[in-house]
Amino acid sequence: MLAYLIRRIFFGAFVLLGTSIITFAIAFMVPADPAVAMAGAKADPHTLATIRHQLHLDEPLYVQYGDYLARALHGDLGRSYIRRESVTRLILSRFSATALLAVCAMALSLILGIAMGLVAAAHRDSAVDNIQLFLSLAMVSMPVFWLGTMLLIAASAFTRGIPLGGLAGWRSLILPTITLALGSAGYYSRILHTNLSEAMDQEYVRTAIGKGLSRSRAMIKHAMANALLPLVTLAGLDLAGLLSGVVLTETVFNWPGIGRLAYEAIFSLDIPLIMGTVLFSALLIVIANLIVDLMYAYLDPRIRLEEIG
Amino acid sequence: MKTARALVAIVVLLALAACRAANDNFGFPRGAMVLRFASNDDVPTLDPAAGYDTASWTFEQAIFDTLVRYGDADVELHPAVATSWEASPDGTTFTFHLRRDVRFSNGRAVTAADFKYGIERVIDPATLSKGMEYYQEIAGSADFAAHRKPHVDGIETPDPYTMIFHLSGPDPIFPHKLAMPFASAVPREVVEKWGEDFSRHVVGSGAFKLREWIGGERIVLEKNPGYYLAGEPKLDGIVDQIGVNPELQWLKFESSEIDFPEVIPPSEFPYVMKTPALRALTLHKSTVTTSYLGMNCQMPPFNDVRVRRALNYAVRKRKLVEVLNGRGVVANGILPPNLPGYNPGVRGYDYDPGKARALLEEAHFPRDLKPALWFRAEQTNEMLAESVQQDLALVGVQVTLKPVAWGPLLEAIRQPHNVELFMGAWEADFPDPENFLSVLLSRDQFGSNNETFYTNPEVEKLLKEAQPVADMKQRYALYDQAEQIVIDDAPWVFLDHPVSYLIVKPWVHDLVMNPMRPERFERVWISRH
Amino acid sequence: MKARANAMELVGAAMVASLIIVATLAPLLAPHDPTRAVANSFGDPWAPSWKFPLGTDELGRDVLSRMIFGARISLEVGLAAMVVTLTIGVAIGLAAGFFGGAVDFVLMRFTDVMLTLPGLLLAMALVSVLGPSLLTILIVIGIVSWTSIARVVRAEALSMSQRDFVLAARALGAHPRRLIVRHVLPNVAPTIIVMAALGTSGTLLLDAALSFLGLGVPPPTPSWGRMIEEATIYFRVAPWLATFPGLAIFYAVLGFNLFGYGVLRRRTR
Repeated sequence: MLAYLIRRIFFGAFVLLGTSIITFAIAFMVPADPAVAMAGAKADPHTLATIRHQLHLDEPLYVQYGDYLARALHGDLGRSYIRRESVTRLILSRFSATALLAVCAMALSLILGIAMGLVAAAHRDSAVDNIQLFLSLAMVSMPVFWLGTMLLIAASAFTRGIPLGGLAGWRSLILPTITLALGSAGYYSRILHTNLSEAMDQEYVRTAIGKGLSRSRAMIKHAMANALLPLVTLAGLDLAGLLSGVVLTETVFNWPGIGRLAYEAIFSLDIPLIMGTVLFSALLIVIANLIVDLMYAYLDPRIRLEEIG
Repeated sequence: MKTARALVAIVVLLALAACRAANDNFGFPRGAMVLRFASNDDVPTLDPAAGYDTASWTFEQAIFDTLVRYGDADVELHPAVATSWEASPDGTTFTFHLRRDVRFSNGRAVTAADFKYGIERVIDPATLSKGMEYYQEIAGSADFAAHRKPHVDGIETPDPYTMIFHLSGPDPIFPHKLAMPFASAVPREVVEKWGEDFSRHVVGSGAFKLREWIGGERIVLEKNPGYYLAGEPKLDGIVDQIGVNPELQWLKFESSEIDFPEVIPPSEFPYVMKTPALRALTLHKSTVTTSYLGMNCQMPPFNDVRVRRALNYAVRKRKLVEVLNGRGVVANGILPPNLPGYNPGVRGYDYDPGKARALLEEAHFPRDLKPALWFRAEQTNEMLAESVQQDLALVGVQVTLKPVAWGPLLEAIRQPHNVELFMGAWEADFPDPENFLSVLLSRDQFGSNNETFYTNPEVEKLLKEAQPVADMKQRYALYDQAEQIVIDDAPWVFLDHPVSYLIVKPWVHDLVMNPMRPERFERVWISRH
Repeated sequence: MKARANAMELVGAAMVASLIIVATLAPLLAPHDPTRAVANSFGDPWAPSWKFPLGTDELGRDVLSRMIFGARISLEVGLAAMVVTLTIGVAIGLAAGFFGGAVDFVLMRFTDVMLTLPGLLLAMALVSVLGPSLLTILIVIGIVSWTSIARVVRAEALSMSQRDFVLAARALGAHPRRLIVRHVLPNVAPTIIVMAALGTSGTLLLDAALSFLGLGVPPPTPSWGRMIEEATIYFRVAPWLATFPGLAIFYAVLGFNLFGYGVLRRRTR
């Protein structure tokens, strides 16, 4: 198992490296002179040249990349051009808001998805099943930013108590969480439904039902465990998709998280910040994948036994 | 078991978030007079050498002091740390006499050396200050910037409470440059201690001091008990919640969570103006800004003055103002209404699409040309650009819109044969026509602020003549002539002069708007409510 | 073998067809020019009325006409981007599945790296850097979306390539390209159709998201995502402005999803 883990960690590191190269390449496609962005347009050529030298912009690309990588490994992601602050600090300060939102949304989508999937599987092939299928597809088809805006409109028209944006007490979590969770909930409910049905079709379960065990007890006792695990691991692997939803949700609700930070960075072409946020997201995804790999390694005896054999 | 742990973690996270938000009076005691507002974006910086935007200046004005300042509601020079000042007859030397009772919030007395340090920081290229250019006329600044001399020789401090500025040439409006936050007194030891993080740990001598700044969340200022003006500030503190979008600010304003929003959201504006109770709470000021569509006078077909005049006749400016919900006045010329030297009698261009089409015909404007209209990517700009695009389409000019980030936009329009059309706006830095006409339309600003690459020898002559004139009437007459010539040459389509509005809760008193600066808070007070 | 077409498939197909009809006949169906000001509602959008069934927007334009023309650009981008996505995804998937070995290893590692980059962020950064235009958006969406298709195609190609007849043909020296085109591809084709339908719903959503963020096809071309973005500041006074374009996106995406899942269901039953 240890060998497996180490292999996965190396793999993750390799992937991160690849990500950093791509990110760096994009940053250099930017048609803007960072020196102008920092010094302001009224600076004279001499000042601009000085700034370029300070930022190492006059050195060959591979040297700059090497520099960046070396510093990144120490946690230094440079300074934002626009805000003059350390990128690492900016990202870390906004991370908790996104984490809060993501955790709540993930929880809600799992709860909702599991509930819907269970109901559908229990009434397999009936009208309920079909309705649930349609509902899940509808949830997956809704544009996140539109859903958010519709919720804003509804909330502002019908209630007074719910804050409509920004991080301001637990009530402000409600709308963004629902917005972010709905799409995933639909997706998970279908996955669970499929897994559950497959599990229920297993010989030993059918035998148990034949021997008198009720369907629902059979589901809970035997099928759930097998069906849940793939779902949870899938949820972990879906982090990349969640991050995309996060960007849109944070923009609609002005949530002070990394998604909105990335959006602001991209709009002001703040290269170090763009690179930092993209790399950080990639890091999160790699870590999530590693955790999922860990869970699998722990739970799947074949991998553990691999070491002995 | 795993789920239980996860649930606990979630509850803890939620509780933490709730705790942070529940701390409603932000650390001030009950009954303290705290002015609360909110903003969409975080303050870029509090370092007076770096800040060059409304948000930064709002706070820098409160935290730091300058030698002279504008009144709360006017753009005339009033004493601040300097009690009086004189100019030499030839206009190249200015002497300032300082108060002796001003202290930084860390207790140390403020002297001329602190102002000199602050200004030198701005002139030093290593600081990357955007205000550098304003002080380059001080003798010795070039030597200091090139590190040939350790100090700027042109700033003399014969004693701790006297400052003498020697300029390289006569400049009657130099004292205005000392009213900008760039020229604040800055404590050297604090800057040296914090280096690049000085912005987060600023110490000044102003009416307020920085209590806390949580990036992306809030800035809190508190009263500086050692402020040199007795009775000021009246407030105990100021809280700015950051990252609150305009719509949410409005809701917080309605629920009295904040005392005034940064702006009235465009969608609420018509409603506010139609409701007498709300309208009574508004303040407005005509800003010293002109919004324009810049045309590159060196790129065909815009090098033909007929084409440029045609575009002026084609754009429906009144519609623009309506799209802005009345937050602007139509611009007929270059100078905005609140600027000293403004001439309401300039001859501009009326809306006349027929004339526009005729002129375009005459000039043989190529029908298949699709010039790109570049502008800074931002919602209001997009609306204006779309409105202009609509109008130009009606006279047969198809423009494509090109929203760009600020940095690349600036770079692109400053190259001589690159961008044909762009949306620009200029806000005066000081109250003088020179700040518009010379800065935006003279030849020596090619590659810098004169992004239309416009030049006219007659105008150049008038600008040179007017600059050293100290008699304001004479000065303005000369600039007047220059402005009319430029209008006839039409390097711009003159769009509008934005008017800004504020709405404030009735228990906030003495908050006034200034034509050229963010609001000041020293005299603001709050009554019981 | 071919099962009966089910309700989902039919409903989905009908929805997609209706979109295509509206998009094609847009100039005939739209009552007004979508970019011209036809009402004096500057800065003050008008509510739906007889004259303007979906109201007008802040620049005096008829919302209904803009919605109809919006279908055009949405379908154009959605379908074209899907073609780009498919091309890249199928090419990589086939190559990896058929050739196996080192080719597979390199391509799959590359896919892994792409999967680690959050799609929307990457798309935003690329469009922002390259400048928003129809072509850029097509390519960018393609770049960001091909990974899932590649994986599926690879799996199928892999299994196909292990079949006896393919192995035999290879041993006999048959040219790989011929084998791929004549034997592997036709069997992978049905999967590709399903992925095309589901892929289009994905590209539609991505395009709408980019437009919403201001990175879509530039004005005055009406695009649904952009209409929502322009409407957000009026959400209190004119909520219909944001509602209708969103419903349109929802309808389009749902249509493609229903069709795709319908076909999938039929094949797996």
